Amino acid sequence: MFPSSRERQILNPLTFLKCLSCSTINSRPFKEGDYVFGEVEEKCPKCGGDRMKIVGIYVKEPEQREKRQKQTF
Amino acid sequence: MGFSGGGAEVFARMQIAGQGDLLTSLLQLIWLLFLMLFILYPNFSQRLQLSYILKDLERKLYGLKRIREEVRSRTIETLRRYSEGNMDLERELDQILLSFAITPESMDPYGIVYKLEHIVNTWEDTFEESVKRLCPRADRERMKTLTNLVEVARGIDYLYRVVRHYYLLGKKTSNIYIVLQIQMLMPQLMEIAEAYRQACYAFMQGQPVGDGVGVLAAAKLVEGLEKRTYEVAKDTIVHELVMDGRRLFVLRAAGPGGAVGKPADGIIKIIENEGERVKAIVMIDAALKLEGEDTGKVVEGIGAAIGGIGVDKFKIEEIAKKYNIPLYAFVIYESIGEAITPMRESIAKAAEEVVERVKNIIRSKVEEGASVIIAGIGNTVGIGLS
Repeated sequence: MFPSSRERQILNPLTFLKCLSCSTINSRPFKEGDYVFGEVEEKCPKCGGDRMKIVGIYVKEPEQREKRQKQTF
Repeated sequence: MGFSGGGAEVFARMQIAGQGDLLTSLLQLIWLLFLMLFILYPNFSQRLQLSYILKDLERKLYGLKRIREEVRSRTIETLRRYSEGNMDLERELDQILLSFAITPESMDPYGIVYKLEHIVNTWEDTFEESVKRLCPRADRERMKTLTNLVEVARGIDYLYRVVRHYYLLGKKTSNIYIVLQIQMLMPQLMEIAEAYRQACYAFMQGQPVGDGVGVLAAAKLVEGLEKRTYEVAKDTIVHELVMDGRRLFVLRAAGPGGAVGKPADGIIKIIENEGERVKAIVMIDAALKLEGEDTGKVVEGIGAAIGGIGVDKFKIEEIAKKYNIPLYAFVIYESIGEAITPMRESIAKAAEEVVERVKNIIRSKVEEGASVIIAGIGNTVGIGLS
């Protein structure tokens, strides 16, 4: 009935794209075929440019966890 | 309510129930029987403990089996996308999962590294060939990532079979010490199993994993710079460029398919070509952190920063000693789980920090006009050429 804890824990990374026209960095959920330093044809939400370069693919970490870790030993 | 019959007298005489009621008498009788059980059957407590441990192990083994089945079905599903329709993938995959490599005899250890290298190379080639046969429609990059995916499936399959072996062996022989050892290891083993599960999804889609941070740092070091790129060893490329008056040879595995390349062979080839001009080797790799340490922490040290079975490490140390070249190392801390699962933000950010620190070490340790080798070690899945 409820999703198991394992099903909830699949890590979904974000793809960070840099517009080749205005250098703005945007992110979106990872899509199969994305790879770091690859170029994709996608529209920049800021300037409308249609070429973007992937500058990073990683899982965003919640800041709270970081703070909690610092409080311990 | 007190006893008035003969039973109460018997109890009173035996000093068992005293003047208590029926419930007390019964409880005391049960307690006495329980005590007798322990005295007459000394292994009873151990048997009891064994059954508890076996129950606990059984529950965890089911969990492990579920993960193994999940990884196996996802692997088959992915392989099917690149295979021909008439192939019995399940049977073929099972054959690959059960395949093995026999390590060389170590009674006489002389030359064992090169024997081991030969066996591992043959094993890797055979493994790749098997996956290629299953997925003829996959391109070269995809093939490498699929090989990694099958390796993940093989890893979790082996883990499950080993745990099952100890569980069944312990149960069959009623040996508490066998099951106790595997029970103590189970938390770590379950963590590794969960990492395999996550890794399966990462390799299915070609996402960068934590282990690729060394490669990512090497790629970022040369990003946007004028360079000459060529293959130096199997699945291994080198970017040759000039930075601050020093000649840099930035070596890494070729991506974006999942590969680790042959960094030692690449380094040897560069040193043999450049000779005495190489004044330093800087290696960047992910390293296992201790509990309590922060993921993505960058630490500097000395030596060959490379994992694996030791062949590459041995060869790099050997050539560095021969030419008297210092080995500098940068490692990025992460857990075993983080190394094979999608890259975390802190690890990705650490790559940028490493780039700056590598530049600093080159400026301080290598004089202008000299050459330096920078080797980014790790799996290149999801990391293309910069």
